[in-house]
Amino acid sequence: MDLALYGELAVNGALSGLMYSLVAMGIVLIYKSSAVPNLAQGAMTMLSAYVVLAITSRFGAPMWVAIPLAMGTMFFVGMGIERVALRRLAGRPIVMILMMTLGLDIFIRATSMAIWGGTTRPMSIGISAEPLFLGPLLLNRASLVGAVVAIALFVIFELFFRTRMGIVLRAIADDYTASWSVGISVDRGVALSWAMSSAVATTAGVLWGSVQGVDQSLSLLLLKGVTVAVLGGLDSIGGAILAGVLLGIFEAVASGYLDPLVGGGSRDLVVAAALILTILIRPHGLFGRHDIERI
Amino acid sequence: MLFRQAGIFHTDYAAARALFPVTADRWMIIILLLLALTAPLTMSSLALSTNMLPWLVWTSAALGLNLILGWAGQFHFGYAAIMGIGAYTAVHGARNGIPWEIAVVLGGLMATVIGIVFAFAALRVKGLYLALSTLALQFVMDWVISHVPAISGGIQAMLQAPALRLLGQVVASDAGLYYVALGWCLMVTVLMLNLRRTALGRALVAVREKDFAAAVIGVHSLYYKLVAFATSSFIGGVSGAILIFTFYHAATPEQFEVNVSIQLLAMVIVGGLGSIIGSYFGAAFILLMPSLLNSLIAWLAHHMGASLGVEALAHIPYAVYGALIIIFLLVEPMGLGKMYNNLRNYLLVWPFGYARK
Amino acid sequence: MQSAQSSSPPATAAPSPSATAAPVLSLNNVEVIYDHVSLAIKGVSLDVPQGGMVALLGANGAGKSTTLKSISGLLRAERGLVTRGEVRFMGHNIDALAPQRRVKLGIVHVLEGRRVFEHLTPDENLVAASAVRGSRQDMARNKDMVYAYFPQLHHRRAAQSGYLSGGEQQMLAIGRALMTQPKLLMLDEPSLGLAPFLVAEIFEIVRRINQEEGMSVLLVEQNALAALEVVSHGYLIENGRIVMHDSAEAMKKNPDIQEFYLGGAKGHDFHDIKHYRRRKRWLT
Repeated sequence: MDLALYGELAVNGALSGLMYSLVAMGIVLIYKSSAVPNLAQGAMTMLSAYVVLAITSRFGAPMWVAIPLAMGTMFFVGMGIERVALRRLAGRPIVMILMMTLGLDIFIRATSMAIWGGTTRPMSIGISAEPLFLGPLLLNRASLVGAVVAIALFVIFELFFRTRMGIVLRAIADDYTASWSVGISVDRGVALSWAMSSAVATTAGVLWGSVQGVDQSLSLLLLKGVTVAVLGGLDSIGGAILAGVLLGIFEAVASGYLDPLVGGGSRDLVVAAALILTILIRPHGLFGRHDIERI
Repeated sequence: MLFRQAGIFHTDYAAARALFPVTADRWMIIILLLLALTAPLTMSSLALSTNMLPWLVWTSAALGLNLILGWAGQFHFGYAAIMGIGAYTAVHGARNGIPWEIAVVLGGLMATVIGIVFAFAALRVKGLYLALSTLALQFVMDWVISHVPAISGGIQAMLQAPALRLLGQVVASDAGLYYVALGWCLMVTVLMLNLRRTALGRALVAVREKDFAAAVIGVHSLYYKLVAFATSSFIGGVSGAILIFTFYHAATPEQFEVNVSIQLLAMVIVGGLGSIIGSYFGAAFILLMPSLLNSLIAWLAHHMGASLGVEALAHIPYAVYGALIIIFLLVEPMGLGKMYNNLRNYLLVWPFGYARK
Repeated sequence: MQSAQSSSPPATAAPSPSATAAPVLSLNNVEVIYDHVSLAIKGVSLDVPQGGMVALLGANGAGKSTTLKSISGLLRAERGLVTRGEVRFMGHNIDALAPQRRVKLGIVHVLEGRRVFEHLTPDENLVAASAVRGSRQDMARNKDMVYAYFPQLHHRRAAQSGYLSGGEQQMLAIGRALMTQPKLLMLDEPSLGLAPFLVAEIFEIVRRINQEEGMSVLLVEQNALAALEVVSHGYLIENGRIVMHDSAEAMKKNPDIQEFYLGGAKGHDFHDIKHYRRRKRWLT
């Protein structure tokens, strides 16, 4: 057991795990405010990265202009999805809502691939590619930036959900009709939650794009994002952070151990296994709520 | 007028319990069966093997998925994995000298066993979590099949299927393969039609609607969910095996990966959750749509002078599946089967539409 | 009371506290249809006077909740439409307003079955409802008012609302409605599923709110006995139509109400049933 190697794997794993948390946060935000598990989050992350690229290359705009513009675009995409697709299925069984978000995921992914093609495009946001040395450990600078951003967002959102607006969003998730009856504008609340989720998706897309380039694999983050979201608890932002760290470490260390034994490619397997184990042992995750069912 | 109905009145219990109480329905079924049986004579060999055969096999797979998704209401993201298990087991069995029929049944049983083991774990949770755990199963299966050479057959990961032997005789002609697929599809259809009338079918619907209420009236919900998973997995495993032996003739991991699961889900949703005839329609729709749309878009692009890369064309089928799922869920959530039923209800009393309440 | 015939003349309008002032709420000949096909209520007219407390009584399925929803605007959530008549609040027609706008104007509807925000604490429930009123000082002041009326809620303010008892949830639902500073408080079957002494306690608190805050109250109830103790006058709705309107005292003494809603008058003789059924017919 090479401790230095595993230590480095663990630390880098924790950092990339925090980046998974970014995707998970988008899922948690939507679930927390409208009780819909948004399986299209991975596709939206990918699409936002492509939009940023398109803005910079087509209009020559600098990054700090392109990113807010992309967030705005994704906000409208999200609003469109909510208004057109999800609202119609408001009272229906969860099977249909899941299928709808899944259909959206497939559609957005395939259309993006059809428009922009499969080659990986580089994206630079000004982070140098030089690795950082922390003692004997080699750290990926971009992952570090991503981790810091994730933690910053966590703090912001934790505080937000304690404010009155945050409480209103949580109320909407609990009961639409009761929210209406006390004067809460459900439309505005849902719009706000999609806006936040789109902003997070764009952030995740840009950060991941700068780490591994922009291509289809970005949408495959969905599996990892969903695993992190479930592990942490579908309605807990703090849970998404902690679960991201845990899963990142687990994935890096376990695949580092297993890869030589099975000939590579065990990362996805490890993540899938983590998901199954979580659902078996503690489906509501580390900090998730139990659905209160008074029969 | 078309159905010559003045009401449906039965004079004995047997008639009331018949599978097709309306005479016109019975005639329609007989005509369809005749057409199906004589298809090798009327259709070209190419049409038979590239259109009819896959349609029938995918329909039987869709029926199996409909059992678990539409009737039992349990989400299943990993159906392609189940089919893959059945397929690989059957192929390995046949390659090792086991008679073909037994190999196929063995494939079904293996799929059932793994399906049950998995269901035991997954059925502790509902809704979203069940969906996610079946998705995880799909990914695990994908990985196992492609990374374990003993299963997938070597570096190229293509496992050649031996010839189909029915009762010792090699069946290799297009017509023969077609009849095998037709036979299996009919068996599954008859099973599903009858299931509706049995206590098991009713129990499944009760469990789907409200499982704790079903438990209160004595329907052991976990048991029935397991039975649903088991039956559905068996159908899936055998369908997967038949798909390989009659259509692909060789097994590769891509044939049963997550995209195929999605394709099946699209078939069931478009066809209509819980609708038997809907599975037929849905399978046909999903199989035909991509090629039609590809030709349409290529033609459009050609006429508009734009050039579409090969890659773009490759992604269009998936965009179509996604769009179809979205559109059907918005417009007619109960799918083509419901549309057919609406039409049929209308025609039942046509032209006396006002007689319908 | 399906086939019952009234031998007394049609009910006269009950004397109300501020008979000369305009009613705070006035329904004129309202008709509601669900899904474009199901007629729920027809020709419903009722008035709630300024500062008054009025009951709307009726059996299951009579149309009480539908009437409330037509006032609060929540019909849209159930594919219902007001197809005839109008709803006037403080003299203005509010038919075209969205539910949030009506709450801003001062109408609040406490839903049937409580419908508290289960995963939030009672305190957070109150905060969520204060969003419509804006300012923080108002919110703090309103919370104090609510806790003053419902001390038990203050005691349980940090628990998860889904785990509160039925009575506490009802108190929370009413308190949450009070946070919107309403002029008209509408309660849909607050006694549902509650023990009798709790029902009396809650009705007493509502009566105090009506007296001390000057808030008009429209109380929809199946439990006619408890409701008639606290209101000034009442309406009776049956099969979607208003069939009686009288003061609470008169309704309590009315033999038909006693027969069908209050458990029967003393000295009830079943010998008269056949004769009775032919006599009673309200809706011809």
